[in-house]
Amino acid sequence: MLKRLLASALCAVGLHAELTVAVTYPYIASLTESIGGDNVRVETLAQGNWDPHFVVPKPSLITKVRKADLLITNGADLEIGWLPPLLERAANTRLASSSSRLTLASKIRLIDVPADTSRAGGDVHADGNPHFHLDPRNIPVLAESIAVFLSKNDPSHASRYQNNLTVFKLQWNARLKQWEKQMAFLKGKEIIQYHPVFNYFLRAYGIKPIGTIEPLAGIPPSATHTMKLVALIQERNPYCIMHDVYHPTKTAEFLHTKTGIRLVVLPHDVGAQKGIGNLASLFDSLIGSLQ
Amino acid sequence: MMNKLVLSALAAAALSADSTELQNLKAQMAQMEAMMKAMQAKIDTLESTRTSPAPLAAAEEKPTSKLVDAVAKTTSGLDLSLILDASYVSRSKKDEVTQHLELPGVAHGLIGSHSHDGHDHATYNASNGFNLNYAELAIHSTVDPYLDANAVFHFSEDSVEIEEAYVTTRALPYNFRARGGKFLSDFGRLNNQHHHAWNFSDMPLVYEAFLGNHGINEIGAQLQWVAPTSNYLMVGFEALQGKNEAMFGQAAINNPSEGYEEEILAGSAHQPSLLIGYVKTSADIGDTTILAGASIANGKSRIDHFSDETPHAFAGESDLYGLDLTVKHYFDSYSSLTWQSEWLYRDMEGTQFSDPDADVTTNNLVSPTMHKKQSGYYTQLVYAPDQTWKIGARYDNIYRNDVIKNGVDQEQPEHMDQYSAMIEYNTSEFARYRLQYTHSNALFDEEGNRRTLDSLIFSINVALGTHAAHSF
Repeated sequence: MLKRLLASALCAVGLHAELTVAVTYPYIASLTESIGGDNVRVETLAQGNWDPHFVVPKPSLITKVRKADLLITNGADLEIGWLPPLLERAANTRLASSSSRLTLASKIRLIDVPADTSRAGGDVHADGNPHFHLDPRNIPVLAESIAVFLSKNDPSHASRYQNNLTVFKLQWNARLKQWEKQMAFLKGKEIIQYHPVFNYFLRAYGIKPIGTIEPLAGIPPSATHTMKLVALIQERNPYCIMHDVYHPTKTAEFLHTKTGIRLVVLPHDVGAQKGIGNLASLFDSLIGSLQ
Repeated sequence: MMNKLVLSALAAAALSADSTELQNLKAQMAQMEAMMKAMQAKIDTLESTRTSPAPLAAAEEKPTSKLVDAVAKTTSGLDLSLILDASYVSRSKKDEVTQHLELPGVAHGLIGSHSHDGHDHATYNASNGFNLNYAELAIHSTVDPYLDANAVFHFSEDSVEIEEAYVTTRALPYNFRARGGKFLSDFGRLNNQHHHAWNFSDMPLVYEAFLGNHGINEIGAQLQWVAPTSNYLMVGFEALQGKNEAMFGQAAINNPSEGYEEEILAGSAHQPSLLIGYVKTSADIGDTTILAGASIANGKSRIDHFSDETPHAFAGESDLYGLDLTVKHYFDSYSSLTWQSEWLYRDMEGTQFSDPDADVTTNNLVSPTMHKKQSGYYTQLVYAPDQTWKIGARYDNIYRNDVIKNGVDQEQPEHMDQYSAMIEYNTSEFARYRLQYTHSNALFDEEGNRRTLDSLIFSINVALGTHAAHSF
C-alpha cells in the first residue's frame, strides 16, 4: 500500500514541471535546495571562492539566467556590478515581473548603513553592509522568505516547501545553540579583517572589529595604513586577523610576522574552501577555524 | 507532529553528544528525513485533490528601517554618470606632420584633427601636449515595464554629440530583445564598447582605418535573440541609416564644380542603407572563457570628401566581414589574462570621383571604376596581476590593400603595421592612469614615403556617478 502510494507520488512529481531557480550566490543555492528539495533546479551564477563584489559576467551566465523561472538575489547592491547586463542580455520575460524575483536584503535589517556615501570614503554600499547571510540567526528568516516565495510561485507544492522549512528550521536552531556555545569564549574579543565582510557574524557573537587591512572599502592596502595597523595590533593585541579567501594575504602575512598576530583564512560562502558544501558546513568551518 | 517531536529530541540529544555519537545521530536524522520526505509525498498526493494549499506563516513583514526603504526607492530612479578622459601626448613628429600622414588607399587624416563637411573631427589624443579627449555624460533608466532607455552625450572641448540615445525592450517574448535609436552596433567585439572600456588609448588601426574614430555608430533598429542552447549563442540583426564617414553613406553626392552644383554625381541610396548581421557564441573551460563572433555588414557607400585637401568622392556598395575571438583566463577574482583578436575584411566597389588638378572649382572630374579589397587585424594580450595593475601589448596590421582603378591595380602599399604596449594603474574601480607607447610603421606622407611614428600617451580616465556595469 505504502509502496503504491510512494510510486504514485513519484509519478506526480515527475509529471510536474520542475522550477528552475537562478540564484546569485552559492549560499542562496544551498538555502533554496533545502527548501525547494527535488522540486527545484538551482542555477548558481557566482562562484563561492571569489570576491562576491566582482563576479565576471561571463556569457555562460546569460544562458543560466535565460533558463530561469525565478530569480533570487542577495540585493543591497552586491550584484550591481555584474547582474544587470546579464538580465538585459537574457531578455527572459519570466523574470520581468517583481513576483518572480526575490531580493533577500529586503527581509533583513541591514547594519553599517553609511551616513555619507561619497566615494571619498571608498566604494561604500549605500544600503548598508550586504553580507548579512554571515549572521547565522538571519538564516531562518531567509529560509522562510524563500519558502513563501517558492509557495507563491508554485502553490501546488506549498505544503512541501512549508514542511522542508520546518525541518530546516528545527535543525538550524539546534545548530545555532551549539555554535553559540562554541563561540562564547570569543565574546568581547577584538579582531582585524580585510574587508568588513564578517561584520554580521561578529555582531552575532559579540566580537568587535577594530580595523580593516584595506584602508577604505574597495581600496587596496597602503604602506601608511598597514604601519598604523601594526601599531594598533601592538597596542590592542586583537585575537586574530579574520581573512577572506579571495583577497591576497600578503599584507596580513606581513602583519603576522611583524606582530605575531594569528592569521585565520575563513570562508565567506558555500564553496569558498574545500568541503564546504552547504550553509551548515560553512558556519561549522567558520566557527571551527576560530577555535 | 510525530516527526517534529522526534527531530527535536534528536537535535537536543545531538547537543550533548560527543562527536562519534553525533555522527550516529546525524545518520539517524538523515534516515528520519528520508522517511519524512516519503510521508510528505504521500500527503501531497492526498492533498492534490484539494484546491487551495494551506497558507504559509507570514514571513512577509520585513524588519527593515525607514532609511532602507528610502534608499530602495531612490535607486529605482535615473542612473547618471560622467566619464572624463584627458591625456598628455608626446609624438616623434610635429602635429602638422602627423595630421597629413595617411594609409594610402585606405584612410587619410588618421591622427590629429581634420575638417570634414564643415565639422572638425579630432581623434582621441590628437595633439602633442595636453588633450581633453572628452567628458561623456551617460544616463540610463527604466521607462516603464516595457522599455529601458539610455543616452550618451559626448562632449568634446567645443562641441557636443549625441553618441547614443536608444530604447531597449524589456518584455518581448521568446527571449527577443529589440533596440531602436542611435547606438553602437554589436558588429565585432570592440565596436559596441565605449572608449573608456578599451584596453588601449586608441582604436585598433584596422577599425579606425576602415570605420573611422566612432566605429559603426548609427541610427537604426536592432533585434537580438539568445538561443535556448546550453552554450551561449546569440544572433542579431541591425538595419541602420548608414552614415559612417569612412565606409558607408546614403546621401546624394553633388558635383562640387562652380556652376555645376545642381548636377548629381550619385543619387542617394535606399535608406536605411546599412544592414548588419552577427552571431556570437561562448563556452567556459574551467576558469577560461572563450567568446567568438562572426559579423557581416552590407551597405551603400556615398563618401563625399570634396572639401578635403585632395578632393574626392566615392559612390558604390561595400561589404565588411569580421571575425573575433576573445579568450580570458581568470587566476582569481582580480587576476586575469586576456587575449583578444579581430580580423576585418572589406570589399568596396563603385565609382570614384576625383579632380586631377585638385581644384574642384573647374569642372574636370574624372570618374573611374574603383574596387578595393582590404584586410587587417589586431591581436592583443592583457595581463592583470591584481586589482591595481594591468599590462598589455597589441599588434596591428593591415596586410592587404588591393585598390583597382579602371581594372588596373594601383599597387598601393601593403603590410602597414604598428606595435603598442601599455601599463595601467587603477587607484580604484573609478580612476585609471595609463601609459601607452606605440611604434607605427603604417603611415605614409603625401609623397608616398613610409614615415615611422612613435607616440607616448599618458591618459587619465575617471568615472563619476552610477555608471552601468559592463558586460563581458
